[in-house]
Amino acid sequence: MQMRSLAGRDVFFDSEGFLVDPSQWSEEMADQLARESGIGRLEESHWQVIRFIREYYLQNGRAPLHRELKKGSGMPLMEIEGLFPGGIKMGARLLAGLPNPRSCGM
Amino acid sequence: MDNAATTFPKPREVLERMVDLYAAKGVSPGRGGYDCAQEADELVSGVRKRLCQFFGGDDPERVIFASNATDALNLVIQGSVKPGGHVVSSQLEHNSVLRPLQHLRESGLIEYDLIPFDGQGFIDPDDVARAIRPQTQLVVLTHASNVLGTIQPIEAIGAVCREKGVPLILDTAQSAGVIPIDISAWGVSALAFTGHKSLLGPTGIGGLVLRRSLEVQSTRFGGTGIDSQELIHTQTYPHRLEAGTLNILGIIGLMAGLDYLSAQGMEAILLRERALTRRLWEGLAELKRVKLYGAAHWERRLGVVLANIAGMIPADVGAILDGDFGIATRVGLHCAPLVHRTLGTGRAGGVRFSVGPFNTEKEIDQAVEAMARISRSR
Repeated sequence: MQMRSLAGRDVFFDSEGFLVDPSQWSEEMADQLARESGIGRLEESHWQVIRFIREYYLQNGRAPLHRELKKGSGMPLMEIEGLFPGGIKMGARLLAGLPNPRSCGM
Repeated sequence: MDNAATTFPKPREVLERMVDLYAAKGVSPGRGGYDCAQEADELVSGVRKRLCQFFGGDDPERVIFASNATDALNLVIQGSVKPGGHVVSSQLEHNSVLRPLQHLRESGLIEYDLIPFDGQGFIDPDDVARAIRPQTQLVVLTHASNVLGTIQPIEAIGAVCREKGVPLILDTAQSAGVIPIDISAWGVSALAFTGHKSLLGPTGIGGLVLRRSLEVQSTRFGGTGIDSQELIHTQTYPHRLEAGTLNILGIIGLMAGLDYLSAQGMEAILLRERALTRRLWEGLAELKRVKLYGAAHWERRLGVVLANIAGMIPADVGAILDGDFGIATRVGLHCAPLVHRTLGTGRAGGVRFSVGPFNTEKEIDQAVEAMARISRSR
């Protein structure tokens, strides 16, 4: 675990770069992380995915199922994977500030 | 295509038989004098006999019920080793073997060595022979890798163990119900199995089949339905290693699964699964960005294919297969971290396709097409 100053606040990240406390997330933070990851400026298509994941998580306490992500974001998962350089787990999910899924299969 | 985790779906015949028999005889077996309890006890004894015969055991009383293969491996490993002992195992193992061994090592009770596997995914019996020391108390090995599907040369390893006088414990989580097994002929001292994979039963039931030559100490204690006046746990088999009310619903499911295998023919199921696996392997092998692992020796492997797409995280490939194509696979490390470490996939693992008795050629072709589309997307 390491602490970083990001978007004006001190936040803790785990060894894979996931936020330890998802409540610390902000859109400014996602923007900064996206720039660091090589995406550059987040476009509307990125925000469509990030906001869906984020809202789903806050409402349900877990990440959306694959079929829910496809339906809710309005994009095939293959498109989402290509949209974020880190892919779905290490890109979209990480930028949405969700915790690291500990399962080795996620 | 996640049948190596658990076969799905289960045969309708198995599920219906479970419901019917549990409704009629689902009382506590061996715990009451009334007729139904005695009938339930007879049913349990009958399944012990069936399993003993199925696996080539030498005493039905030494068929021990447990929750699954992991539970059974814990029973036999922890009940067999003594302080100062040494165990030989392999880098192909599942955490069901590695973690009990590591726990015993960290408790200061034993040492263990893990022999390697070759580039094809096979253990060399000579490596087993070389790893055995005077202090070696057990050799514990998987029959078939849950990551690579490779079937290990157990008869040759059994001969080594017999010559060295060291009991061989076999983890048959992947092989029981799909490959004929004869522990007496192979020189295996104990076998751990699970009911919910190729035996086509439910989750929550598995067990051990012990040869008469191996004594295992009790590591769990409680009610057995006999010798209740004694505070010492019953020391005769099978009660020596069982405590508490048995999972009779699971035992009925095991029986129904054995009946299903008998009716369908285990060899016919194996040949069909091998043909599907070969079709999958050959289809994936044609995709430029797809990497496959292990041997293409069809006679020496089960229906498991491990794949990766260059430049993509296996978890994402699995998510796309599921979300966009409706294909369920198991991604990650498959609870066998040392296999992936050896393969060079130790961080993110791979995508495991595992074929079951109800997969079809059409599904295999859909999986190949899905992987082709995914691999072209990046």
